[in-house]
Amino acid sequence: MNLTDSSIENTIKPLPVEPAEKDWGVGVNAMGDTHSPFPRVNRFRRFVIDSEFTVDHERACLVTEAYKKYSDSPQIIKCAQALAHVLHNVTIRILPDELIVGEMAAPMKAAPIFPEHSYSWVIDEIKNHPWEKRLHDNYYITRKSKNKLFGIEDFWKGQSIDEKISSMMSEDEKKGSNLERNLYLLNLYMFAGIGHLQLNYEKLFALGYGGIKETVKKKMAELDQSNPENLRKRDFYRAELIVLEAASDYLRRYAALARDMAKKEKNREWKEILLKVSENCDWVSEDRPRTFWEALQLLFMATTITLIETNGHSVSFGRFDQYMFPFYSADIKSGAATRESIQELIEILYMKDIWWTKLRDRMTVIANSGRGMGGDSLTIGGVDKEGEDATNDLTYMCLDALAHTRWGTPWLAVRWHENTPRELKIKTANVIRIGTGQPKIFNDQAAIPASLLSGRSLEDSRNYHVVGCVEIDAGGKEYGWHDAAYFSIAKVFELAINNGRCLGCGSHCMRWERCGGLGKRLGPETGSLADFTLFNQVLDSYDKQMKYWVDQMIAGIEIMDRVHQEMKPLPYLSALINGCIEKGVDVTAGGAVYNFTGPQAVGVGAVADGMSTIKQLVFEEKKVSGREILNACESNWVGYEPLYALVNSDKVHHYGNDDDYADSLAKFAADTYCKHVENRPNARGGKYLPGVYSVSANVALGLVQWASPEGRKALEPVSDCVGAVHTLVRAHDVNGPTAMVNSVSKLDHIRAGNGTLLNMKFSPSAVSGDVGRDNFISLIDTYFNRKGMHCQFNVISRETLEDAMKHPENYRDLVVRVAGYSAVFVELSKPLQYDIMGRTELSFD
Amino acid sequence: MVAEKHKPVKEGCIFNIQRYTIHDGPGIRTEIFLKGCPLRCRWCSNPESISLHPEIGVYASRCIGISKCGYCLKVCPESENGAITVKEDRVTEIDRNICNGCLQCADACPSNALTVWGKKMNISEIMTVILSDTDFYAKSGGGVTISGGEPLLQWNFTIELLKECMAKNIHTCIETTLNIQTEVMLQVLPYADMIITDIKHMDSSKHREYTGSSNDLILKNMVAIADKNKPLIIRVPVIPEHNDADENIHATADFIKGELGNRVKQVQLLPYKQLGVEKYTSLGRDYPMNYFNPPEREIWEKNIKRIAAILQSYGIPAVPGTGAKTS
Repeated sequence: MNLTDSSIENTIKPLPVEPAEKDWGVGVNAMGDTHSPFPRVNRFRRFVIDSEFTVDHERACLVTEAYKKYSDSPQIIKCAQALAHVLHNVTIRILPDELIVGEMAAPMKAAPIFPEHSYSWVIDEIKNHPWEKRLHDNYYITRKSKNKLFGIEDFWKGQSIDEKISSMMSEDEKKGSNLERNLYLLNLYMFAGIGHLQLNYEKLFALGYGGIKETVKKKMAELDQSNPENLRKRDFYRAELIVLEAASDYLRRYAALARDMAKKEKNREWKEILLKVSENCDWVSEDRPRTFWEALQLLFMATTITLIETNGHSVSFGRFDQYMFPFYSADIKSGAATRESIQELIEILYMKDIWWTKLRDRMTVIANSGRGMGGDSLTIGGVDKEGEDATNDLTYMCLDALAHTRWGTPWLAVRWHENTPRELKIKTANVIRIGTGQPKIFNDQAAIPASLLSGRSLEDSRNYHVVGCVEIDAGGKEYGWHDAAYFSIAKVFELAINNGRCLGCGSHCMRWERCGGLGKRLGPETGSLADFTLFNQVLDSYDKQMKYWVDQMIAGIEIMDRVHQEMKPLPYLSALINGCIEKGVDVTAGGAVYNFTGPQAVGVGAVADGMSTIKQLVFEEKKVSGREILNACESNWVGYEPLYALVNSDKVHHYGNDDDYADSLAKFAADTYCKHVENRPNARGGKYLPGVYSVSANVALGLVQWASPEGRKALEPVSDCVGAVHTLVRAHDVNGPTAMVNSVSKLDHIRAGNGTLLNMKFSPSAVSGDVGRDNFISLIDTYFNRKGMHCQFNVISRETLEDAMKHPENYRDLVVRVAGYSAVFVELSKPLQYDIMGRTELSFD
Repeated sequence: MVAEKHKPVKEGCIFNIQRYTIHDGPGIRTEIFLKGCPLRCRWCSNPESISLHPEIGVYASRCIGISKCGYCLKVCPESENGAITVKEDRVTEIDRNICNGCLQCADACPSNALTVWGKKMNISEIMTVILSDTDFYAKSGGGVTISGGEPLLQWNFTIELLKECMAKNIHTCIETTLNIQTEVMLQVLPYADMIITDIKHMDSSKHREYTGSSNDLILKNMVAIADKNKPLIIRVPVIPEHNDADENIHATADFIKGELGNRVKQVQLLPYKQLGVEKYTSLGRDYPMNYFNPPEREIWEKNIKRIAAILQSYGIPAVPGTGAKTS
């Protein structure tokens, strides 16, 4: 079967509305156990959800063994052998109801450890900050696993990626980073892998592991080995063969296990399934998949192995409804499967995603709360490579599966375009109304032009998928470093009005003795609000600080990129990203067709309202002096209560109300960031793409910033994504969703090539009934016509969230949208819970 | 009495403009709330709508404290005469007999503890807000709803606003009590695309008891609207123990079927919710239905469904709530 053949017709009638859909409910969320029509799915779901998260030592120990054994090999061979050693030796299991099998080198919901990335915090936290005692994101670990992890401590001292990065960073690059003042957070890629990509499943399905191995052998045979440049390529191809063979072996191990289990199994139905699983694994260990079930098994295993190798999150599924459709179509025609049996498989896949988890260090979980692996996005809908509507049966079935499983996985993204069928919009809205925050909606009208501007081809742009939370990506061809940093433009603004000095500077700061205590400043001296005589000086100063800090951040990111290249090549991933085998270059070294780096700006709303306050009150109305604003912030508004109230009142222009006065400043705040980031070169021969969103980093970045002029008290979150400010006393957007949408669409979303995000929260009553639903759809349509890129929703009442904070025991299944992802509400950190609750609820009855 | 002829008035007193309303007419709408109302419904949840003029609301809980702020006392020309009451360092009340209505205190208040209900706005200011959302109206089949209070108390202004919307091809609704001279209503009617009104009680004396006015004019005007085949939505606020007895429901059905010839787009049954209590307090008034304990949701939901069923048995397009699409 030729998967890229567009002549395969969609001959199966669409199934837009399922009979049960009317009863899905509004704001009812994920409570209850019988949402799926398939008992197996309901059973499996409860079993998986109720299992605890744990930490497992096995991967770490196996990798250590391999690093010792292959210590004299080239780095890429060492890494390949380490992966192979894990896949050959790690314990494997098959649990009841698993129609597709595979584990992340650890048991279900157990986090494997990646000592090659970072290890000192692992030991420190076992000893001093036990994971089972964390307030949120907690994990359990056995005494045996602890001892095993202690046993490899010495080997990794000074050998991990994070230590190398830290040793290479200069004082100036460090001071603003997560290692010191947290103006920008580089945690994710400093302590773990990159991820944020999609494997080229179409290629894998077309060739199978066997076919890819043949390609590699051919390329290797063609190398002129007397050319010294080719020695590196020879190592690369040798590494490819090691890992591809190991991947086949891993599948064969599961095939053997299933076969053994079937022999002993008494239950006839389960025995047959085990035999089928065994056959599937055996077949796809080398060959091209023939059926939907085989393809799904291969897809799941290929993805899982990527996670074992890379320690990356947001390893996404891409356009599942597109590349799986030929299998679906053929199975239905041949009778090999029914629509129902395929629906059940999709739902099992969704539940299998819960198995993947990643242990993050205790500082990172403040910013990235939620224990899921994170970012296993699955994209549906949109246009095809020719620009025509690509909706098919699977598009609808993927949404049904979400309504049936109601958990945070996978992170479903629905692409809408000008000609998206009305039925698909209705189903999307019906699923969103359930209230688990899923799915998110992307706008082809903005994403495709943004992708073209980033330099992807028209065909690849039309074929974009969503990676992780927010980012658009050319699936299977790209290594986008999409989550490279979270950069607080709110902090930049603070330094811009205070001559490079932090507000709240004092001896509590870790840098005091090197900085404030010596009379120094964190940033360059670009002027103080106390001295400015014109508002434009505020903007100038902001621009200068921005340039300085973007330079520091990019230097830090480039160090990280280089260290990953040197220390952690990814031969398995390289086999499944186009460009690498062709060029003989590892994906970490620029092998992919597209290479980007995407750091995000956080705090657009905060900067906009801060600028607006200063412009209006200091320079126009002259109600207060610039000095007073600085003093008010320094004193955390104590003694400045009337000013605090005024700044938070609707007497001051605020972003998010369709008021050009403040909205134009929001655009300036974001554009200034984009201007300094866009088109800078990166270490892989690609370039930088700015993003404008926070996910939940606005909470972490707020926790390290003193009070600020938009009416924020010290340590409160800064504004989220492209949303409006909401402070302890008041949300600053008061004119409802149309005004919010108008404000947000004044930003240049297309310029923010790494993505933007608007979070909206609706009370269930606002989207109830056909009236609520249709107007909700119209609201999104209008946002998209105005080139807004992406939006996502919570449909849950404030009362419910308040009650859940009081009685978490009653809400173990309450799933909410954080930003980019959904998570179990009662497992989030308290500041994040408050942040979600404080988002303006759009209610109209 | 012969009604006066329409004279264009370009400025009105508005107490709220709400964008993205979706329950008062089709699609996404911008709703303009005009001040002034001829009725005094006990269950009214917008007491700030009743007076025709701007008035101050007092929210003591938002007051920062006179010792820290006190801006209101500084600007109030009548403060020495005791216009503003301060208790335990907070502004708690305004003596509306002493207050001269200058509104400076609210202007000076940084925390909205003193807030103004009602603002004079001219047509072009309002149209700027309305036109910001034209894309949303077009996409959703929405438009503008003029509500109140009673928008026909400021009818000369309302007509001008409707004309302006008409010129921009924006769909319009009026949400009205219909307790207004028929001749006035008939002059406004041609400029509105749809009328939304209430039947609060069929018994005229009960109507007077609960709203301060009989229903004679209201019902007469409703018949006139139906006779012109103007799209009409009727709402029944279902107030338990006040107007939800079977007898009144059957009388309502008889009227809609008989007098109106069932020429209604929809009859919406709205639940009673105890809303606006805070606003009464801010205006220094008591909530008129303090004596009444509203039933639990389960009970009122059932009640409303029961009433809908009775009306439907007459062939009337009755629905619970405002969430169903109109035909």
